[in-house]
Formats: sequence, structure tokens, C-alpha cells
Amino acid sequence: MSAFRIAGKGRVNHSKPVRFTFDGKTVQALDGDTVASALLANGIHLVGRSFKYHRPRGILTAGSEEPNALVGTTRGPGRFEPNTRATMQEVFDGLKTESQNRWPSLTMDIGSVNDRMHKLFSAGFYYKTFMWPRSFWDKVYEPFIRAAAGLGKSPTEEDPDHYASRFHHCDVLIVGGGAAGLAAALTAGRSGASVVLVDEQSELGGSLLSEPSIEIDGKDAWSWLDATVAELSGMANVRIMTRTTAIGYYHQNMVGLCQKLTDHMATPPADAPRERLWRVRAKQVVLAQGASEKPLVFDGNDRPGVMMAGAAQTYLNRFGVTVGRYAAVVTSHDSAWYAAFDLLTAGVKVNAIVDTRAQVDPTLVDSARALGIDVFLSSTVTGTSGRKRVTSMTVAPVTDGKVSGGSHVVACDTVLMCGGWTPNLHLFSHTKGSLIWDDENKVYLPHEKTEECQVAGAGRAVWGIADTLKDGADAGAAAVKSLGKSGAAVTFTVSKDRTGSGETHRELPTDGDPGSARAFIDFQNDVQAKDIRLAVREGMKSIEHVKRYTTNGMATDQGKLSNINGLMIASDALGRDVKQVGLTTFRPPYTPTTFGALAGYHKDGHFEITRKTTIDSWAEEKGAVFEPVALFRRARYFPQGSEDMHAAVNRECKATRTSLGMFDASTLGKIEVVGPDAVEFMNRMYTNPWTKLQPGRCRYGLLLGEDGYIRDDGVIGRLTEDRFHVTTTTGGAPRVLNMMEDYLQTEWPDLKVWLTSTTEQWAVVALNGPNARKLLEPLVEGLDISDEAFPHMSVADCTVGGLPARLFRVSFTGELGFEVNVPARYGLQLWEMLWEAGQQYDICPYGTETMHVLRAEKGYIIIGQDTDGTVTPDDAGISWAIGKAKPDFVGKRSLARPDLVASGRKQLIGLLTVDPKTVLEEGAQIVDDPKQPIPMKMLGHVTSSYWSEALGRSIAMAVVEDGRARDGKSVYIPMPNGVIEATVQASTVFYDPEGARLKL
Amino acid sequence: MVEITRLPEEARFSFRVAAGGVAAASKAFGVDLPTTIGGMAANGSRRALCLGPDEWQLDAAASERDAVVAAFAGIYADTPHSLVEVTDREFTYQISGEQAEELLTVGVPRDMALVTVGSGTRTLFDTVPAILVREADNRFTLSVWRSFAPHAEELLHIANKEFAAGL
Repeated sequence: MSAFRIAGKGRVNHSKPVRFTFDGKTVQALDGDTVASALLANGIHLVGRSFKYHRPRGILTAGSEEPNALVGTTRGPGRFEPNTRATMQEVFDGLKTESQNRWPSLTMDIGSVNDRMHKLFSAGFYYKTFMWPRSFWDKVYEPFIRAAAGLGKSPTEEDPDHYASRFHHCDVLIVGGGAAGLAAALTAGRSGASVVLVDEQSELGGSLLSEPSIEIDGKDAWSWLDATVAELSGMANVRIMTRTTAIGYYHQNMVGLCQKLTDHMATPPADAPRERLWRVRAKQVVLAQGASEKPLVFDGNDRPGVMMAGAAQTYLNRFGVTVGRYAAVVTSHDSAWYAAFDLLTAGVKVNAIVDTRAQVDPTLVDSARALGIDVFLSSTVTGTSGRKRVTSMTVAPVTDGKVSGGSHVVACDTVLMCGGWTPNLHLFSHTKGSLIWDDENKVYLPHEKTEECQVAGAGRAVWGIADTLKDGADAGAAAVKSLGKSGAAVTFTVSKDRTGSGETHRELPTDGDPGSARAFIDFQNDVQAKDIRLAVREGMKSIEHVKRYTTNGMATDQGKLSNINGLMIASDALGRDVKQVGLTTFRPPYTPTTFGALAGYHKDGHFEITRKTTIDSWAEEKGAVFEPVALFRRARYFPQGSEDMHAAVNRECKATRTSLGMFDASTLGKIEVVGPDAVEFMNRMYTNPWTKLQPGRCRYGLLLGEDGYIRDDGVIGRLTEDRFHVTTTTGGAPRVLNMMEDYLQTEWPDLKVWLTSTTEQWAVVALNGPNARKLLEPLVEGLDISDEAFPHMSVADCTVGGLPARLFRVSFTGELGFEVNVPARYGLQLWEMLWEAGQQYDICPYGTETMHVLRAEKGYIIIGQDTDGTVTPDDAGISWAIGKAKPDFVGKRSLARPDLVASGRKQLIGLLTVDPKTVLEEGAQIVDDPKQPIPMKMLGHVTSSYWSEALGRSIAMAVVEDGRARDGKSVYIPMPNGVIEATVQASTVFYDPEGARLKL
Repeated sequence: MVEITRLPEEARFSFRVAAGGVAAASKAFGVDLPTTIGGMAANGSRRALCLGPDEWQLDAAASERDAVVAAFAGIYADTPHSLVEVTDREFTYQISGEQAEELLTVGVPRDMALVTVGSGTRTLFDTVPAILVREADNRFTLSVWRSFAPHAEELLHIANKEFAAGL
């Protein structure tokens, strides 16, 4: 039995011992313990060093708001996590934990020198200190700040766990399984509504777990809880999730839940996810988040052994652990009195109760005195002593807010403090619901709602179990009513309730020098009362500025304990009403959440969709190097032996130009445009004229946006009078279809034409090269593919090697070319057939890089590479693609805009470097005169640049101001290691300008 | 555990017609085309799923493919429409078992309670556009475009292991 454990007490399993380690030492615990409760059971209070001053720190709370007791945890190989809250991590055999922010050890920490220099590290220290010289920033200041920033060590190994996610829909989502949440769940559950009830703790009950003496419906609290949980668990329409935190409340009642599934297990089942992120869309949300106990602000309120009174009560009643042998209480609220009574009943000596209030419920005072506790009303605590554990606190009387008499010392090994309770508004705040200051209770409360939600219980400052149960039931009934269902609020009878009241303070009065007081507000970020006052003196007036200047509330606990104390002090220092000082905004997540939970299944091979064609596996087997093109991965080149990309591409280009190349063109977008008005639709969408295009023939199509700029292009075949086969760029497929649908549905709903995406219906193999027809001819049935019968820019149905095919004669290389479309299931079969049959022509598979070079030699543009959304057809030198006689098409009016017809626009031209071996860098800037002063005037930039094996020299395309007028003139490309001279060529066609090779 | 099976291709068409053509199309296809979005109707191997105000997915046995094409070609002159074969565009998975619905919630953001037996819907499965059909309480089909299918199928299998783990 651990020294501070009470036999048989609490909800831990006394017959199931558990062993874990803390800083290498074995700690005896019980099943059901948290790391914090187990450490306390063994008398360990010192668990870490504070962030900034490296002050010894203990366990402050018993919940998820814990700012101090952050430890590193190891749940097995590779499963290290820093900053785990010891108050939330459940123990299991084999768990390893370690203290943080100390070196070489927790008890002997070099960094604690910061504490002795604390006056140096006041609020705004970084802003003031790291101002100058400017040159120090990169090398000195930033590395220093980065080294000092952050608590805990980052994991060094890849996370071996996996994370899950689900969507869920329900009628009522109830956040918080305490008295209010349970009452809401009973009410909603009995009405038949589908209910989800979540709680971040390992079991339902909330404050009832810490208050077993209360009686509900004639049962003690825990018997009632057992019966209630059993009833809810038995309802098919109720889903209970524990260890589940509602991390964020988003639009239209979408609440994010993070469910911890295995962190409490010694041996999780194989393949079990560690956590699951739930995206719950609830018709009604009941927020029953409860309240957090607020610290009091006095010198030395952060020593190990100083903790929240309610936390001590939880450790006692829920875990059967006493937090000390002799305690002293300092409070401004009744609840700490009850905590003191519980501890005293359990055998802890309570040396004193210090209450800041002059008037306290006489029954409390009488009870305390009857139990032999010294009571000091209208008093303050002016300090504590003890290095790694509190040993005493100093008490002084107060009159009119000032210390008014001599102080005395109360010996204690534990100080229990309570500054009242703060409703947890976080999720409500996420919805941007407005808050209202309740001056009587000194709390902010939920006010105007923006979502379909109810707030119940302590979360809206309803105190006491009786009232909380009623409030929860009413909220449940209100939710049910909003659903249009009927269900009366469940009623309860409660006895032995311990409803209390209290006052809220700024820092407690002291007779010492306030500048020397170490009175903490934000324990995690080491912000003290005097920092807030300094910030105000230095001109911060808004609480948002005070927050950022002092970092109050900016730690991972988002100021759950510190916000109101900081606000009270700022309000006092400013001499302004709290309402006028405001409250900072809470943002998701409610508590720190792993990146794993947010990433879910999106990791490793499943990180992002990788679309592959039916021919991809063949390319992979042949050792292709891939590149991403939109969501697709495409073979970029097929290296042989030790070839690098340039060698492979040169070989692939040469093979295609001299004999035969094959290319997987399946990724090109395809849209089938069908209907009696198909041709009219095409005329309106594309710049080109379509009316006279005969069925069986193809045309290059150019698509503009309304602004007149080039959006997409592709070859379009007319299959029948009423049916077009449109191709788009790979990346443009979805947006072209969307744009077409947009026009069709909003502008031209009268047109009888329909669009269907057929991108994935077809697998496409492009054959290019002088031997293309020789390969294909013997395989084709049902079609004469001679040049006379099937000239360039033709399309027809046929079979290829017995496969049903839609055959195009088109070319993106300048060579004789065909594109064989077959239903996708036959894609690989077709490819392999052509590969086999093509061996006699040394057929060469080529990738996107070779495709780019071959098309650049012909001056064909690539959308998004040679155009950037500001290029008109004239800029690109393809005005010929505009049907001049057409009355209208998308973008036509814009093409007449003054700035689009003005001279001096950047035009796409060819560039030939003076040194033919120099290959320009794509994106490089172009200037007129390299001797002009810097900054030089940029004329444009290089859009495409390659080595052309066919021409034996480099080629490039560029957009250049007045480019075509510069034909034959020199421009310059300044690069880091010298200026490159190039000659402008008005035409972008470098190879076979007559197009003779297409006509084989 | 949930059974995840890829179904063999039959014949699938995307069919579009204006409201006035529904009757003629129903006759040509041999199934009364449902006019409520999500509605489904079948006759033998032929099945029609209404996906939009003028859009249906038509399924038929592979052996009936040419007959379907011919039947619609026969009414085109009087009832202009668009019939485009998409058999090879997508993979269809059958997902069946007691936890089939829960498995689908891994990727489907829709309220599954509203996807009633005998109805279908366009939706997403973990960012992938999909068409979901509920054939029975515990049996669904999920159709996704071919190149998205490995991503969807892999996720179904990853998540299916969670049921085996009991968590």
C-alpha cells in the first residue's frame, strides 16, 4: 500500500496493482489511477520545472486543465509523447513517465538560475532585449529564442500508431457526462432521440465522482451514477463515449470529437487505432462542460503542495489518495470548506482555513471550529515557504483590502486554494456565441447563441447538484422539443447537496513588496500578477494586447485557470470595468490534440490520392521515373541502364522522331458533349468554329475564360452530328467540366445538350513517329487508316487487335500520330499488344518529359506552363484558333478590351541562345540591356526550355514584351553566374515548320 | 468484419433527358425512371438510379449493352437525350455485413440514416466522389472512378481492421 492511499477508498481497483516508472523509478499504483493520483499516493508532489523560471512545480488540478504536471510518456517502443497531462494519463503496467524542463535532474536543475534572475525576465523581455543590433537577429537572437521556446522534447521516431476517423449524425450531442450531462441524456434518451454523450474522463460522472456523499433519488451519488449509466447504456438510441474530448464546435452544429482508444492500455489489440476523430453533425448540442476551479493569486502559490481544493477532494474521493498529512486552506469560496471537511474526515489534519471574506456561512464556520480547525476570516495569505514542497504559509488579517495587522505562519505540507469557479465557455465561444458578464457572480456566461445548442449546469454558473440536474434535464427537454419530439424533463430529488458561493479577487493583498511577490496567474507560461500590471503601465489597454505582451493564457491550456484572474488584475490596473476590458477568444482545440488524430488515415501510402492509369503498373515494372500531374502520377521518362533524365529523354525523342514512340495519354480529360444543340454549345464555349466540322473530323479547341485569357485547350472530335468527344488538359479536366456545366445551367438552360465526363472510361495510347501507321495498320479492323481515307485530324470507331476502339489521328509531336482509345479495362492489354508488335520498329515508350520536348520543338503550348492565366490567344500567337465570324463565344467581348488590344503586351516567342549548348532555366527573367542599373526592367520570362536532340541545340519559349516585334533581336537573361544572350524568333515553331511530317 | 467485394463490370450508362422525355425513356429502357433524386427502380437486370433532376445512372447486364444502346438510338429523333457509356469509368464495390453502415461512415459525410434501402446518392468517400446505393439494411454498393478506387478500397480495408480489433 502506498503511503498516502486509503485502503478500500475511491473508484480505483485496490485488488489490481499496477507498476509504472517516473524518472526511472518504479511507482506503485492501482488500476484506475492517473499518473498524478499515483504519484500523489506515493507522496510525490514535485513533478516538473516551470517553463520560464524553472521553478519546481507540482500537481495543481485533477483534470484536463492541468498547467503544471506535464510529463513525457512512453507507451512502448517509438511511442513517446511530450507534455502529456499527468492528471489525464491513466496508468498501466509498463508505462514510463519522465519530468520535463530540467537538467541534469528534476531536483538539481541548472536552468533554475532563471528564477533568481526573474526580475530580468519580466513581461515584454523578449521584445525589449532582442531589438538591436539588427544583425544579431539571425545568428544570435532567433536561435536563442528558439532554443528556449517550447516545453518537452519532440519525439525523434516516426509515430508507429495509426489514427482513425468517422462521421456521425445524431439528434442530440451532449458534451460532458457530469450531473447536467447525465440528466440531459436521460431526458433525451427516454424521448427516443438518438443521443451521443461524451466525456473526456475515463468514466462518466463529472463532479459526482468527487462528491460521493450527495444523495440522489434516495441513493448515494455513486449508486445513482451506476444505475444511470446502466440505464443509458441499455438504450439502443444512446451512444456513450468516454475518454472523448469535444475539441471544437464548428458551423451548423458540427462538433469535432477526439476519442482516445488505447493510451490507457498496456497491450492494445492488434491494428487498434490510437485515437479516433469524430465529426459529429448534431441537430441539437447540449454543452454541459462544467466549471474549472480558479486559483488564488498570492506569493508562492505555485510551490509543489499548493493545489486546488477541489482537486484534493477528487484525489481523496475518486482515487482514495490524500494529498498530504497536514493541510492549510485558503479560499474565497465555500467549496474549499467542504473539501477541508472531506480531508479531515479521511484523517488529514487541517491546520487552518483562511477565507478572504468577512462573512461566511456560519454553519461552515461552526462546523470547522467544531472539527478543531483554526478559522481566519477577512484574511490573506502573503507567502508560502518550502523549496520542493510547501512547508508553511503566512496569514495576515485584511481590512478594506489592505493588510491590517501582524502575520503569522501556519505549518502545512499542502495548501488547498480556491478562488471560485469559472464556467467552461470554450465550445460555446467557438461558435462565436456572445458572452455576457455576470457582475454578481463575477463570471462570463453564454449569452446569444448562433447555433442550435443548449448550455446547462456549471457551464452557465448553475451550482449545486440539485440545480445542475434540473438544469441538465431542462436542457435535454428543450433539445427534444426543438426536434419536434415530446419528452418531459426527468426530475430528481437531491439531499446532502453542498451548494456554495464565493467571491472573485484580483491578487490577494500583501504587506510585502508586490514587485518581489511571485504570485502566479498562468502557471504554464509563468505569468505573474505583476506582469499584468507592468503590461498595463507600458500602455496595453485591451486584454488582447495584455495577453500577447505577457503571454497570459497563451499556453496549451488556453488560460483555463488564468483568464479571469488576469482579467480582474488588468481591470484593476486600468481602473476600468471588467466588461470594458473584455475577454480573449477561445479557439479549437479545447485541449491539446495530436496531429495524428487530425491527419487520421492520411499517412504513408494513403496520405494523398495518387491516381494511376491502367498502364501505370507496366511503367513501374520498366523502371519509369514518375512525376505528379494534378492528382495523377505519370511516367516522366524510362531510363535504361545508368541513363540520367537528359540521356533518356534524348534517346526517347530520337526514337520517336526516327521510328516510333508510344505514350500513355490516358490522363487527358475527356468530356462527351451530346444533344441536338451540341454544336451550338461548342460554338459558344470554344473560340473555334464548329459548325462546318464534319463528323469523323477533329479540330484543335481553345477555351477562354470570360476575361479573354486562355484557360484550356485540346483536340476535339466530332463523332456524329450531335456528339463531340472533347479532350482537355490533364489538370484542367474537372474545372473545364465545371465551367461548361456552369454556363449550361445558368446561362443557356434552353440548350438541349448534356455533358458527361468520360476521362476514366477510356485508356489512351498515343503512337507517334514515321512508323506509326505501319504498326497500327495490320491491327485495325473496320477502318482504312491510309492518309487519304483517314487524314490528319480524323476520328472513327474501329477495332484494334480485336479491342473496341475509338481511333484518333492526331499529333502533339509533329510526327505522324494516332491516339487509340479503348475501354479502360483493356488499357494494359492494348499497351502490351502494341509494345510487342512494335518491337520490329524498336518502339520506344516515352514519358511526359519527352512529350514536352517534342511539342516544344513544334511550338505547341502547354496550358499553365506557357500560359499563366493572363495570356490571350494573340499573346500566345494562336489567333488563328478564333472563329472570327462567330457572333459570340466565352471571352469574345473581353478580347476587345483596350488593355488586351494595346501594344506592349507580353507575347509568346521562340528564343535561341547564342551559345547553342546553353539551356536556359525555365522561369528566368529576360531584360533588354544587361548593363542597365539594378533593378533592371524585366521584359518577360522563359516559359519552356529544353535541349532539342532533333535540332542539336537548345530551344526555348518565352513571354516577352512586344516579343514578335523583336524578331531577330537579342535579349539577355541575367543569371547568378553570368548573363546569357539569346535571339528572339517570332515563331515558336523550331522543327519542321511546314508540317510535312504530319502528312505521311 | 465487413465483406468488401469488387463487382464485375456489367453495362453502365449516364443518361440525361429533359423532363418531357422521361416517359419515352422509361419505355425504351423497360424501367419506369424514378423522378425523385435518390430513387431507384429495377426490372430484371436493368436498374435506374435518379441522380439529378435530369440525370440517371442506368445499369444493365453486359449482354444487354447493345440492346440498350439500340433502344435509345430508336427514340433519339423524338426524344433528344444523352446516353454515354461509363461502364469502364468506375469500379463498384459491394460492402456487406452487420457493420457495413458504420464502416462507410469512415468516409461518407452523409447521414446514413437518410440513405434508405432501395435508394442511392451521390456523395464523397474520404474526398473521393462516389455513388452510394443501399441495397439492403446491411448491404451497400459504392461506385468510384477507376483511378480513385485504390484509395477508397484501401481505406475500407484499413478501417475494417478496427472492427477486428474491437475498437
